[in-house]
Amino acid sequence: MTIRNAIFGLVLSISAATGLASSGLEGQPAPDFALKSSTGENLRLSEYRGDVVMINFWATWCGPCRQEMPLLDELYMRYQRVGFNLLGVNIDDDSYRAMQMIEELGVNFPVLFDSSKSVSELYEVEAMPVTVLVDREGTVRYVHHGYKPGYEDKYLDQVRSLLRE
Amino acid sequence: MTRILLGLVAATMLAFSMVAAAQDAAPTDAGAASAESTAAAADEARSRDQFRGIDQDVQALKKEVLDLNRDLFLLEEELLFPANSQVAFFVSLDVGEYFELDSVSLKIDGKEVANYLYTAREVDALMRGGVQRVHTANLKTGRHEIIAIFTGKGPHVRDYRRGATLYFEKGIGAKYMELEITDRVKKQQPEFVIKEWE
Repeated sequence: MTIRNAIFGLVLSISAATGLASSGLEGQPAPDFALKSSTGENLRLSEYRGDVVMINFWATWCGPCRQEMPLLDELYMRYQRVGFNLLGVNIDDDSYRAMQMIEELGVNFPVLFDSSKSVSELYEVEAMPVTVLVDREGTVRYVHHGYKPGYEDKYLDQVRSLLRE
Repeated sequence: MTRILLGLVAATMLAFSMVAAAQDAAPTDAGAASAESTAAAADEARSRDQFRGIDQDVQALKKEVLDLNRDLFLLEEELLFPANSQVAFFVSLDVGEYFELDSVSLKIDGKEVANYLYTAREVDALMRGGVQRVHTANLKTGRHEIIAIFTGKGPHVRDYRRGATLYFEKGIGAKYMELEITDRVKKQQPEFVIKEWE
């Protein structure tokens, strides 16, 4: 199981580094879901309608995710007060390791646990990390597969343009 | 004198002939005018009839389209959830002082068919009297087993997980089941009941 996870993680990390093309979800209504969060409460995507939402799928074994998350946290802290929300969706089988990583990185945005991978399937998560931007109407506008340094600038531009709408 | 008389006779005859000529001409003009007006009236009547006919056709077509739309909608509903095999499950929460709902899981004949996580907003809506349709299924006639598992915080904010089971006979016609969570004041405990709506 550990070796299988490691190989799977390696494949996804390579995919992450190369940065795959955009997904077929763009322009479609964001599939709704509810997951338990790190604070114990259940959070549902549709309850954020009216705000710009970034959904970031990550895992503890994903190196680029570790790089990206603090930068996303900065974005969250900066724009939350003007209608921006960030939901981190962890797909690890064991949420305990995810909790440890959250504490280690010190992120402030809500983290949800998708150990059954049902939500990551809905969002066609094939690489790691995957970052999805949903506009105020609940429509998927941008999907980013993988992370490379500099992507955060693209996120910033896109979040700002969606907030301006 | 004779000349005068002859002149007078000639003038009279000329006048008479002119009048006669005028009388002959008048009916011809009136006839033409009336013929024209008759034709115009006929044309107008024809075009009015035609317009009425087209308007009636359009109204009939609109009615057919509306009827067709209605029939298609009903057919779609019958195909997806045939009335005779449809079973719908609803969740309701009464008061909720002894139980803070977190999730509901539903199993029919041993197979999990629904698993719903409730946010704080949704729980609030249920406590205010809302009823949620958690699942719709198609079941054959006969005996079926329903198991509903409720997870949340019980009295003294402890983790709580309770199940309720019901065996029911599915007959002909749609069936509606309510998964009800109520506060049992005597025992200071929540109560979980599956009810069939009559």
